[in-house]
Amino acid sequence: MSRQALGEAEENLARRFEEIERRDREINSFIELNPHAQEEARRAEKLGGRLAGMTVAVKSNINVRGLRATCASKTLENYVAPYDAVVVERLRREGAVILGMTNMDEFACGSSGESSYFGPTENPSAKGRIPGGSSSGSAAAVAAGFADAALGSDTGGSIRNPASHCGVVGVKPTYGLVPRHGLIDLAMSLDQIGPIARDVRTAALLLEVIAGSSREASMLDVEPQPYSQRLSADLSGIKVGFAKEYEEVTSPEILGVVKRALRRLEAQGAELVEVELPNLEKALPTYYLIVFVEFFSATRRYDGRRYGYRIEEVCGEEVLRRIMLGSYISQKEYAGRYYRRALQFRSLIRRELLQALEEVDVLAGPTTPKLPHRLGERLTPLEMYAYDLLTVPANLAGIPAGVVPAGRVNGIPVGLQVQAKPLQEQVMLNVMLAAEGRA
Amino acid sequence: MKVRIGFEIHEQLATRTKLFCRSPADYRDAEPNTNVCEVCLGMPGAKPMGVNAEAVEGVIAIALMLNCELVREPVYILRKHYDYPDLPSGYQRTSMPIGKNGELAGVGIWEVHLEEDPGKYDPVTGRVDYNRSGVPLVEIVTAPDITSPEEARNFMRELVKVLHYSGRVRREGGTMRVDVNVSIEDGARVEIKNINSIKGLYRALKFEITRQKNLRRRGKAVKRETRAYIEEQMITKSMRTKETAEDYRYIPDPDLPPLRITEELVERVRSELPEAPHQKLQRFMQQYRISRDDAWAITSEPEMADAFEQVCGQVEPGRAAAFFRHIIKKTLNYHGMSFAESGLTVRDILAVLGAISSGRLSQQAAELVLREVVERGAEAEELIQRLSKLDEQSLASAVEQAIRENPGAVQDYRSGRREAINYLVGQVMRITRGRADAEKALEMLQERLS
Ligand SMILES: [Zn+2]
Repeated sequence: MSRQALGEAEENLARRFEEIERRDREINSFIELNPHAQEEARRAEKLGGRLAGMTVAVKSNINVRGLRATCASKTLENYVAPYDAVVVERLRREGAVILGMTNMDEFACGSSGESSYFGPTENPSAKGRIPGGSSSGSAAAVAAGFADAALGSDTGGSIRNPASHCGVVGVKPTYGLVPRHGLIDLAMSLDQIGPIARDVRTAALLLEVIAGSSREASMLDVEPQPYSQRLSADLSGIKVGFAKEYEEVTSPEILGVVKRALRRLEAQGAELVEVELPNLEKALPTYYLIVFVEFFSATRRYDGRRYGYRIEEVCGEEVLRRIMLGSYISQKEYAGRYYRRALQFRSLIRRELLQALEEVDVLAGPTTPKLPHRLGERLTPLEMYAYDLLTVPANLAGIPAGVVPAGRVNGIPVGLQVQAKPLQEQVMLNVMLAAEGRA
Repeated sequence: MKVRIGFEIHEQLATRTKLFCRSPADYRDAEPNTNVCEVCLGMPGAKPMGVNAEAVEGVIAIALMLNCELVREPVYILRKHYDYPDLPSGYQRTSMPIGKNGELAGVGIWEVHLEEDPGKYDPVTGRVDYNRSGVPLVEIVTAPDITSPEEARNFMRELVKVLHYSGRVRREGGTMRVDVNVSIEDGARVEIKNINSIKGLYRALKFEITRQKNLRRRGKAVKRETRAYIEEQMITKSMRTKETAEDYRYIPDPDLPPLRITEELVERVRSELPEAPHQKLQRFMQQYRISRDDAWAITSEPEMADAFEQVCGQVEPGRAAAFFRHIIKKTLNYHGMSFAESGLTVRDILAVLGAISSGRLSQQAAELVLREVVERGAEAEELIQRLSKLDEQSLASAVEQAIRENPGAVQDYRSGRREAINYLVGQVMRITRGRADAEKALEMLQERLS
């Protein structure tokens, strides 16, 4: 989808609201709709802009002034955002209309979309299955046709995992490319906001609008690039890496879809190269130790004094588990044993990934090791964490990674994950475009 | 018994904005909770902006003035977690040391850090004011080199002087906080919190040392603990152990890249460094040929020293020094004010000195003028007009009035008690409200009564 012609924004919005009204009771992708959307659509039409009239759903951990940023938790049930996140400001400036706040795993602590205080989300592309998480509602809303695009956040796969399961496009940008001011923390050194859309072109357009330096301390000093205008599916001269370790951890039916996608890339001119990632399996424990400690720190402000509830008293079990573990391992006597070691492993994994990326332009492979489970099926925490095995390395290394639909297994969507060097979003998007097969 | 005392001193830096956001750092005239934004309120999702460069330079300047080595490794900003109502995000951000191994007045300076101030919690009303939240602080940690409350007081005076000289800290007063640790004869270390003046520091130490000595005399061990200084009662009191046995779970703040204290930055700050108090003292003695005591008094405050130098452009330095040390200092002491707080200007001082030398103002009247300026912010020149010495005729009539109203004293004088005339001079001064020249009044009275 490209920009709406004048006069169409309100019509587009009305259609989306109708669809939501009709079908979201079943999918449960939104927590709250924007009561001012119509007014904003009218204004957007007058204003124009690169996203004029585009309807965008926003994950409930991103501040949109006047709407509740609940993080799908009872903890922030009544927290009405008093300010716009920088990304939301940028969307508005280009004429986007904020549809509402989407469902998610509580405080983004989950990979299935089931841990929301507001109930689980259904996968619109594979009924009866989880949509993935934690940006479950954002991916589901796009997949269901409720929104032109959505914002999600990705700490260890939270955009890419549901994009893969729901059959949509999702991008986790380079760490520091997109301002986080306004994004409620899971793990500050890993979190990034990114777009979810139905096609690569829309995702690229959204990314170029939200990217670029801001006043925030942890930002890279970079100008946004016109990714959508420079998209090209011609991959001649592009080297695509595939790590043989992917095969050891991924289910065969997913590997089948991925391999077929790789052959399509070859057909577009890419050269396939095998690379090695011997420390791939260290990424998961490293990632979780860092998440526990940073999440513990981030949640200290929910002490019951300002936002109604003390988090430990009202949160779900996964959130509580992470806080307790974070508190435990960040104690003075254990800090060296866990957190500091995790940071050392993080450097190792980053080095390894960057080294592999020196030989190739991108890495392409599976997004999740297994297909989404059925809603309601009980998984142990470790089984749940295992979904993130292939997505966390990009966050640990701070590199960009995107997911594009690659095919289906028994009707269940499977996404191809493409990872690139820091700030090489363009080549990553180009490869995704080629894989999408509708350049 | 050997006493060892060390300090942790916090003072606000005089920056334009707060440490991690662009809210103003000066909140003194603001209504509660108006000098804030989502960053310094720690609202969900808010991220710190880059560390305030002015604050970093301030800490570097102070570290240099305390003769510290500047740290060349990356300086991480840590999150120090604790639960208190004044802390909006549940952690306070504090830098690793920026300066190390310094020295001032024979006391080792271990570390100089950058830190953020929390908000202000009033346990009585239960209200929190976040106006102060995020204001940059310099934290100075000394070695336990001090051995008595008197030494502690002198050191703190010296340190405060250096901080004022640096030009990098708030001068409004009342923002300094000191944590003190005291131990006797290698006994347990006791920390005292909640001290916010040099007087309080002195009293807290007096009390605490006596307390520890008494314990030891009775054969009891001093417990390692944290105590609070209770200003109203001038005592220290044990704080609940829960508050002291805390684990802050320090982590480098993932939202903030470490600071780089580059050679270039340090050299720039060094080149702009103001003169240190002891340097200024030496220079004043040489350049203006004034005594050490005069120079000491004048350089007690950078603002006063600056004013002195300006006055010396027009007045003979010896005369100016005497005026500063005796008249101005006396007035300030009387009001318990610093020169900076007094509002005295070079213009005021020059006007008064000019009026004295032209004979229009007596010494006493000069003091009166200064008092009025300090007390009411009056214009010195206007007051001088009003208080200028009386002409002959008015003085004569005041002398007449004094004689008329005090026949007893006149009688005494005439009957040979010569000292009674001093009383009459005093009466003339009272009638003229100090405007009379005492010497002239004496002459006139002697003549009139002879
Ligand atoms: Zn602020």
